Amino acid sequence: MIAIDEPTISDVHAVVEEVWTSFLGSDEPIQIGASTETTSLVDRLMLDDDTWTAAITVTGAWEAMILISVPVPAAGLITVGMLGLDPAEAETCGLEDLTDALGELVNIVGGGVKSLMPGPSALSLPLVAQGAITSTSNLEEVCAVDLTWHGHPIRVSIDVPRTTHGIGG
Amino acid sequence: MHALIIDDSRTMRSILKRIVHEIGFETTEAANGQEALDVLEAGLVPDLCLIDWNMPLMDGYTFVTRVRADERWRSMTLMMVTTESEHGQIVRALAAGAHEYVIKPFTADAIVEKLELLGLAVREVPA
Amino acid sequence: MTPGGTDGPDVISETNFGFVADLLRRETAMLCERGKEYLVEARLLPLARQAGDPDVDHYVDRLRRDAGERARAVDALTINETSWFRDLAPYQAFVDDVLPRLLAARVDTRRLTIWSAACSSGQEAYSLAMLLDEHLPAGWTARIHATDVSPTMVERVRAGRYSQVEMNRGMPATRLVKYFQRVGSEWEVQPQLRTMVTTQVMNLAAPLPPLPTFDVVLLRNVLIYFDHATKQSILDRVQATIAEDGFLMLGSTETTLDLETTWTRESAGPAGRVVLHRPRHGRAVSRPFPDSSSPAASPHLTLRTGA
Ligand SMILES: C[S@@+](CC[C@H](N)C(=O)[O-])C[C@H]1O[C@@H](n2cnc3c(N)ncnc32)[C@H](O)[C@@H]1O
Repeated sequence: MIAIDEPTISDVHAVVEEVWTSFLGSDEPIQIGASTETTSLVDRLMLDDDTWTAAITVTGAWEAMILISVPVPAAGLITVGMLGLDPAEAETCGLEDLTDALGELVNIVGGGVKSLMPGPSALSLPLVAQGAITSTSNLEEVCAVDLTWHGHPIRVSIDVPRTTHGIGG
Repeated sequence: MHALIIDDSRTMRSILKRIVHEIGFETTEAANGQEALDVLEAGLVPDLCLIDWNMPLMDGYTFVTRVRADERWRSMTLMMVTTESEHGQIVRALAAGAHEYVIKPFTADAIVEKLELLGLAVREVPA
Repeated sequence: MTPGGTDGPDVISETNFGFVADLLRRETAMLCERGKEYLVEARLLPLARQAGDPDVDHYVDRLRRDAGERARAVDALTINETSWFRDLAPYQAFVDDVLPRLLAARVDTRRLTIWSAACSSGQEAYSLAMLLDEHLPAGWTARIHATDVSPTMVERVRAGRYSQVEMNRGMPATRLVKYFQRVGSEWEVQPQLRTMVTTQVMNLAAPLPPLPTFDVVLLRNVLIYFDHATKQSILDRVQATIAEDGFLMLGSTETTLDLETTWTRESAGPAGRVVLHRPRHGRAVSRPFPDSSSPAASPHLTLRTGA
């Protein structure tokens, strides 16, 4: 038996795509691959303060942390999209709205990713922060999907504890 | 008709609220199971509760078991709307007394179709 | 398309749109009218990218030369919108009105044969399979033949796997846990239902292959895409496959046109809102049904979601 510690990139992409089309519509699909010429300089640099990160942890039969990082303008678009607000408000939407929307987004993506792995396991409540979220524990990234939405880079990654990710199994 | 929307995310409450408003529901919101029980104790008896599973203070599963144990709330329809999608968990929720179960993510159509199954929404059939 | 987005610079040219519309019509009889340019763009763009073409117009040039690619394009252009127990009432009518009569009429063979024509990804066929599993008396067998013009859709029926978003569309939770097993991000239908369902790629707008005689045919939400003459010839061909005392069920916006001479209609289901069509030569005594046919508008011409 081979122990599988991480979901495949295409499965994670399928989960993310389903969440995006359900709550943000299918007019502007989220596409796999890093963004190219439409990316602004700020996006490419991905300076900490210009990024929002939402994270959620899975504990139980499978242990992992699932993270979504988006540049500030994309965070605004996600917020107005999910709350059904006028897109013109994307840049001015309140901090509370923004953290709540990103928290729910990572909750739903996390639930989908969790379902790819053997259970039973449980989700934590989400954590949302400006900049990068660094975990103090011994985690390593095992899967990362780079996506583009409205020309912005969106990154979904999965970290698992080093110990369960041994070689040979 | 009246729906009580129970979810710790304001974003999710707003999404659900817009969907059920479209088909004529009035809504009340609660951010967790305890808040929802308080609303019921205060005398509101909604036709429908839309219930998240994972919430602080009191989760949706506990809320369902509490509601089902009380005569006063027999007539209410309980629908879980949650990211929790393990087969065994769905069975547990139904056994505890939830009538329907929707897994996030969902589309507006999915919610309306489930409410049709429950007899709480009627789609207009084209003439 | 959104300006400045990652999609092609402009919409498909008029000539190329015409070419695609003709192709679709020739292969499936589906009508693709002006105003559907955005739909064609959205459906073909991913194929264009895969083929290495910069935009849909270049891809249409490729279609002119490459028959294999044409088949893929047609496959991608079919509208596959469907859901479990779609519209609900027809399935209630099936259980309350159709099934009891067939159980009485088929006591000798104890066998039911049903056709889900234009089955899309199979929700219609498996919805029926669940109802039959729950309502067929012991000793009876049933076969549901699921067919569609799209090989991708037929393959999906065979696989019997559905995404979370698809499962949410109309599937009662009790049946979800009873008939499905989680496999990765998807749900897989149980073998006991799968053995009831057979599949075949089939174009309804062309002469039909040899088929058994069906007790019930579901021809739902597909006639809306065809012109009058095509509808008529499909209805004729389908009628020839239905048992004398069998039933035809159409989508809620569809009718057997003005063909009172060949079909009779009965109302059934909750509040009599469901129409059962029966071959005119049938033995059943039927009440006349007021003709309410009007040009059916399609509420389903939306982009395929969750597929
Ligand atoms: C909107 S879906 C309807 C599915 C299902 N019957 C229902 O009611 O939900 C229409 C289906 O018709 C199929 N179709 C279109 N033209 C066809 C043709 N000429 N022959 C057979 N199937 C066709 C499409 O591939 C698509 O899957």
